[in-house]
Amino acid sequence: MAQHFSPSADTLFRAVLAGLALLLLAGLAVMLALPFTPHMTRRNDTVEQPVQFSHAHHVGELGLDCRMCHQSVVQSRFAGMPPTHTCMTCHSQIWTEAAMLAPVRQSLAEKEPLAWKRVHRLPDYVFFDHSVHVAKGVGCSTCHGPVQSMQQVYQAEPMTMGWCLSCHRDPAPHLRPREQVFDMDWTPPPDQRARGEALIRHSMIETEHLTDCSRCHR
Amino acid sequence: MPPVSGPSLGRRQAALGLLASALTLTSCGEPAEEIIPYVEAPEGQVPGLPRRFATTLALNGYGRGVLATCFEGRPVKLEGNALHPASLGGTDAFTEAAILSLYDPDRSRTVRQEGRPASFEAFLSALKPRLAALEARGGAGLHLLTGHVTSPTLRRLIGRLRARFPAAQWHAEEPVDERNALAGAEAAFGQRLRARPRLESARVVLTLDADPLGPGPEQVAHARAFAARRQARRGREAPFLRLYAAEPLLTNTGAKADHRLALRPWEVRDLAIALAARLGAAVAEPDLPPAARRFLDALAADLQAHPGEAVALAGPWAPPELHALVHWINVRLGAPVDYLPAPEPALPLAPLAEALRDGSLDTLLILGANPAYDAPADLGFGEALGKSRALTIHLGPWRDETAMLCRWHLPERHPLEDWADHLAPDGTASIAQPLITPLHGGHSAATVLGLLGGRDGLDAHAALRETWMEAWGEAAFEPLWRQALHDGVVAGSAAVPVLPPAPALPDLPPAPLPPGLALLLRPDPMLWDGRFANNPWLQECPKPLTRQVWGNALLLAPAEARARALRDGDLVRLRLGGRELTAPVMLQPGMAEGVAALHLGGGRQRAGAIGDGIGANAYALRQDAARWMLPGLELEASGEQAELLRPQEAHKLEGESTRLLPTLSLEEFAARAAMPPAEQPQPASLFPAVGGQAGAAWAMVIDTTLCIGCNACVLACRAENNVPVVGPEEVAARRDMHWLRIDTYHLGESEQDPRPGFQPVPCMHCETAPCEPVCPVAASVHDAEGLNVQVYNRCIGTRFCQGNCPYKVRRFNFHGYADGQEYANQGDPLVAAQRNPEVTVRGRGVMEKCTYCTQRISAARRAAAREGREIADGEVQTACQSACPAQAISFGDLKKPGSAVSALRREPQHYALLEELNTRPRTTYLAQARNANPALEDEA
Repeated sequence: MAQHFSPSADTLFRAVLAGLALLLLAGLAVMLALPFTPHMTRRNDTVEQPVQFSHAHHVGELGLDCRMCHQSVVQSRFAGMPPTHTCMTCHSQIWTEAAMLAPVRQSLAEKEPLAWKRVHRLPDYVFFDHSVHVAKGVGCSTCHGPVQSMQQVYQAEPMTMGWCLSCHRDPAPHLRPREQVFDMDWTPPPDQRARGEALIRHSMIETEHLTDCSRCHR
Repeated sequence: MPPVSGPSLGRRQAALGLLASALTLTSCGEPAEEIIPYVEAPEGQVPGLPRRFATTLALNGYGRGVLATCFEGRPVKLEGNALHPASLGGTDAFTEAAILSLYDPDRSRTVRQEGRPASFEAFLSALKPRLAALEARGGAGLHLLTGHVTSPTLRRLIGRLRARFPAAQWHAEEPVDERNALAGAEAAFGQRLRARPRLESARVVLTLDADPLGPGPEQVAHARAFAARRQARRGREAPFLRLYAAEPLLTNTGAKADHRLALRPWEVRDLAIALAARLGAAVAEPDLPPAARRFLDALAADLQAHPGEAVALAGPWAPPELHALVHWINVRLGAPVDYLPAPEPALPLAPLAEALRDGSLDTLLILGANPAYDAPADLGFGEALGKSRALTIHLGPWRDETAMLCRWHLPERHPLEDWADHLAPDGTASIAQPLITPLHGGHSAATVLGLLGGRDGLDAHAALRETWMEAWGEAAFEPLWRQALHDGVVAGSAAVPVLPPAPALPDLPPAPLPPGLALLLRPDPMLWDGRFANNPWLQECPKPLTRQVWGNALLLAPAEARARALRDGDLVRLRLGGRELTAPVMLQPGMAEGVAALHLGGGRQRAGAIGDGIGANAYALRQDAARWMLPGLELEASGEQAELLRPQEAHKLEGESTRLLPTLSLEEFAARAAMPPAEQPQPASLFPAVGGQAGAAWAMVIDTTLCIGCNACVLACRAENNVPVVGPEEVAARRDMHWLRIDTYHLGESEQDPRPGFQPVPCMHCETAPCEPVCPVAASVHDAEGLNVQVYNRCIGTRFCQGNCPYKVRRFNFHGYADGQEYANQGDPLVAAQRNPEVTVRGRGVMEKCTYCTQRISAARRAAAREGREIADGEVQTACQSACPAQAISFGDLKKPGSAVSALRREPQHYALLEELNTRPRTTYLAQARNANPALEDEA
């Protein structure tokens, strides 16, 4: 009776076994790494918005302050999205007929709010507060990136817990004086470490508590 | 062949299912979220920041001020209004739970005619011709039925209605009313006067079948006054109140009494007569049992030794002659009591039932009353209403038993959606303002009364402004109105007490001993008269003293039950006056023998998905002439058993009750207070030290002397922290979710004298927490401020922490109680609107527990950080603390010198629960201080 398997079958079988094991490991590695890839964190993804609002134009070219529209950023956990009325304070005077602004005019006329798509999203179990970060010298651009040059807003940072903790563990490299928080062109000076340490003392940041679970989760 | 168990998947279906799961996995992002800004931002509204508004809620017509916290126009939490005399910043269980009833999915949404949806216009066209005909004959046949009304606006509109229809009749019915008290005052003084004791000025208080610290419109004010006189503090010289209680049924007041005697109601009457005789009344002193005589001897001496500072009280269920006698005693003692004139009474319910039956009734408008459920059974009100051919109109927020029997039902706005005004028990007026656009439309009582008074389209806001414009004058109106809305109280509007004439002694014929067992009816501590039956928070909240949830029971003294061979949970048939009712028996230590007690409020049939069929309906036995005590009760065991749900048994602590909740006499306290505070060295621990250099060290101290067991804190915790309802089946499986419970210990030595003590138990936030080292995923960890935190998104549900917690404060989500597997209708999106956005809604398989309201700490910390300052002492108020009417709970920073908690921790009666375990809890207690009368103490 002829043999069922050729002599190479054994090698093939071993190779397949090794391959399966490798595949399993590779799969595991992919699964572990996947949440941190831009694909999953949505970093650099732009989102289609109901109005083609350009931060590059309004902030970069016209020089509007962040707080013009995101009014509650200094008082509340929520930075605030402008009511339609805020858009129309200017756009009832300029670009009154622009087709791009039709949804805004319609919103005001029909009293139907605009529905913006969220770009920066944190999980529900994270309780983030804009006002405290602003009060303690974390600038807008530290987390939101160069918004002044964005045609369409995208998420510039990964917004993962590890990324949050990188600053909560060592805030000094990221802090700036209170009056430069809304400066979108701020770059750290050469002696940032020393300045940051001084700012920590000045604004009474209790660094040893910044990594408590209860800071962000409750 | 049909499948044996459940539907099985075909191969094709299974393949499709797999494909679907695979697709879900590859695209496992969450759906896109939207941000919806305003079109025009409301004035003063900052997104993400809560706003607080003052308004008023009423119980039995009496207003209690509340401050409502609203997120983006959505009220989520009610707290007390410190400016309001019936709230003083505290709340009670009913106030705390009112927020959930706003979002009750069972609320009525449409006008109905004969049960079918109709329009308000159709109602108007049915009513208008009637009114014209009624007007032609002066209103004969027009009847109005309300609850107890204090509202100046509603009274004004009712006055207009009666001006237009002089022959119209106004009836008022409250199942828990003041008729006995007012009749007693009339017998004593010849005037209808409401007596309001000033407990804050009393040193000796005697309650004769009264429960001033129990549920009711004045609970909060009484509890605060009582607490003010029961402060055992080092170096404080103020007198300490002594409380005597004689009562048939154990009440919250009886539980707090220094001396309590269980007496049958007729023996309480005898005690009062004997006391009057001792005080010089021309009455024969009746024979008293030896225990009562001894009690009386000590009591009479004590009362007489404190003229001007001693007061006796009788409850709303006490007979009129006892009230009259108490008035006589109080005047003789110069007691601190205010007498307020009571307004002219409306007619009672009985003539209305008669008019329904004899056909003389033509049109009936029912506002805020539910007589088809809560009228005494012998009036046969429901039957008469159902058979009546008159035009019957019901206005109410729920389609309840009465609504089902009326021709027309109009949905009423919830009190938190409407304008109204109410008087507090001391006469202070306050204005209720709407906190939210009416969820289901609905109508106001003012609109309907306006309609009958000839004012079409009157809305509550306009009616209110008219009333107060009349009172204040047009010129001064606007600023006063704004101030009243802002403060939640009309300044200086309290009624002026009158000086009563010399009281007459009532006729006190010797009362015949009632035959057999006497049935006592009492309002339910959680459901009141049954109106709150559809509120699952209240249904699931353990009743003080009985600890029962989801139902009521016939309470019997243990000796009485044994004599009848009845055990806990035996179902018995109650027979009385030809009527019958089935209820389970519960043995209640401290009850007098010869009486049985049943709480009102059970057995609703049209309460809604929550309240229907829970408990036994005590109204089925009630009689109009004998509302509170019905002699001649017969009991017959049915041979069946019912399960009594009492959650405390599931969270029992290991130890002697006298060690878990120690009591010390005032003398012991004074002796210990005279010594300097001793710092006890802490035993060594293997745990790492807790806390950092900077930041706070949060701690809580609970004074058990002051806790009256009212459950306001339990419900405040539930409302603040999104604690879900689990339902009776899960409670039976010992899975209740309360983060804060009130353990009740019987510290007395006998069944007749249980001497109960209340001990609220939140998480202890142990510094060396046994729950932490056993967690395999570090979901139970400490933060730097000493909080033992539970990280929900780490928790994998091993429940090791729960098993290792000696205080039994951890609760596990066996199901998605708040997240997909809700009890009954609580998965309705409307209910989700109540949830506090500052707190996570926990999912299935997650452990949870008290967090010290970490969201409030965080809010205070963030506010302080924004403003560049430190958190002030008292700035963080936990939900339980701010609810407590007696201010028994203190919370603050141990590190802050001079903080309230650090001072309380140095008090001589300070102790930690299960201290011997060296858990170093941050929640600690002050032991109960008891002000015993030495004359009653020696022999016991």
